[in-house]
Amino acid sequence: MTRVVEVPPSFDDRTFDQFAAGFGAWPPEERILVDARGAQWASPYGLVGLLTAGQALAEAGRERPLLTVPQSDDVKRYWARTGFFAHAASLFEIHGKVPRAAASGPSDVLLDVTPVRASEDVHEVVGRIGANAARIMSGELGLEAKSSVGFSMALSESCTNIVEHAGTGGWVAVQAYTFRRRLGRRVVVIAVSDAGIGFRRSLETAHAKRYGDRWSDATALEAALIQNVSRFRDPGRGQGFAGIKRYLSRWQGKIGIRSGTARLAIVPPWDDDVPLADQLPFFPGAQVQITIPAQHAEPA
Amino acid sequence: MIQTICLHRVLREAVTTPYRNLVTRATGAAVRVRIEAALDRMACDVAVLDFSEVELLDFSCADEIVAKLVLPAARPSRPVVLLGIRDEQREALDHVLAHHGVAVTGRLRESGEPVLLGAATPDLHQAFAALRERGATLDDFARLPIS
Repeated sequence: MTRVVEVPPSFDDRTFDQFAAGFGAWPPEERILVDARGAQWASPYGLVGLLTAGQALAEAGRERPLLTVPQSDDVKRYWARTGFFAHAASLFEIHGKVPRAAASGPSDVLLDVTPVRASEDVHEVVGRIGANAARIMSGELGLEAKSSVGFSMALSESCTNIVEHAGTGGWVAVQAYTFRRRLGRRVVVIAVSDAGIGFRRSLETAHAKRYGDRWSDATALEAALIQNVSRFRDPGRGQGFAGIKRYLSRWQGKIGIRSGTARLAIVPPWDDDVPLADQLPFFPGAQVQITIPAQHAEPA
Repeated sequence: MIQTICLHRVLREAVTTPYRNLVTRATGAAVRVRIEAALDRMACDVAVLDFSEVELLDFSCADEIVAKLVLPAARPSRPVVLLGIRDEQREALDHVLAHHGVAVTGRLRESGEPVLLGAATPDLHQAFAALRERGATLDDFARLPIS
């Protein structure tokens, strides 16, 4: 038996739950076919989420899933340019012709889809994005030049979470694009996803008792993002999210974290997202999206 | 005697990376262990941590290196002063030191201006301001009772 999981035509943090629901009870018993033929667009969050699904199935000992590539040549080319297919090839049995990633000049892809497994990977990610970040933050978003340092810090801290807490590897991608629907401005988006144990299991030993029956994916996310707690007894822990929040509050940025069956976001005035969504379809690990908007709207 | 420790050099010894970024908790711990070993070997009165050649400093790394070096439980038997701090690094340092309720003095890279970072009492602020006014040396700042 094969279970078909459809990739939403516009695949981002808003439609991710639809994708997660396709897997049913986790881990699925049937072989999975991820059908991306109808995909018209995918955010970096969607792409790293797709890879996470493949990774989680492999780590759960399930049969290698199938992936049908998007029909649109533009979409295929874009996914290739982000490095998605290069990583997907080791996790999925790919069906459909995949274009070779063409070398190109300056691009909206600030950081290709990149695996994060160890501290050295975080150094590489932060180092590679350095000059690009400065160019985009001040050039395209109209932020002061030193905002790129805070941006790199947010990138570093969100990747470090994988290394410190996930118990397995994950993925990161960074991209700039125009957020027409909700904002009408350029944004830079950091998407980080892992197939690990998730926030609830990571914090359970140290913090579940305090919450009693209320302990859940949602309360675990609240504890980590709002109260800055960590699974470690070291009182210096938990400052990564505190640093990210400080940075985002300065630039009206947004952070949203999905783990297990819940999603928690710190929502800036420009967005209409709900702060907390609970009882969502389960998805393994944790998915983080950080969005930093341009200071001025794009000319119409 | 003042002993200066170049953090970029320690980073190069601790991690194989072509970059000048102090990022991740693991890196911070590796760098701090090397600093502690160096301080144990050196017969100095004041340890100066030189950030001049460091680009990025994230909160986790700042906590592992600086906050843990100056925490009462872990403090070496000598005062610590920070040198060559970029304005962007100042925020991470200030935050992690305040989080632990400790303070450190330092000098900014661009302006050379002395700064007091972290959780400082009004008395400490007053003493720091008085030293700054008379153009005190790093050694003088290091003598401030910082916790």
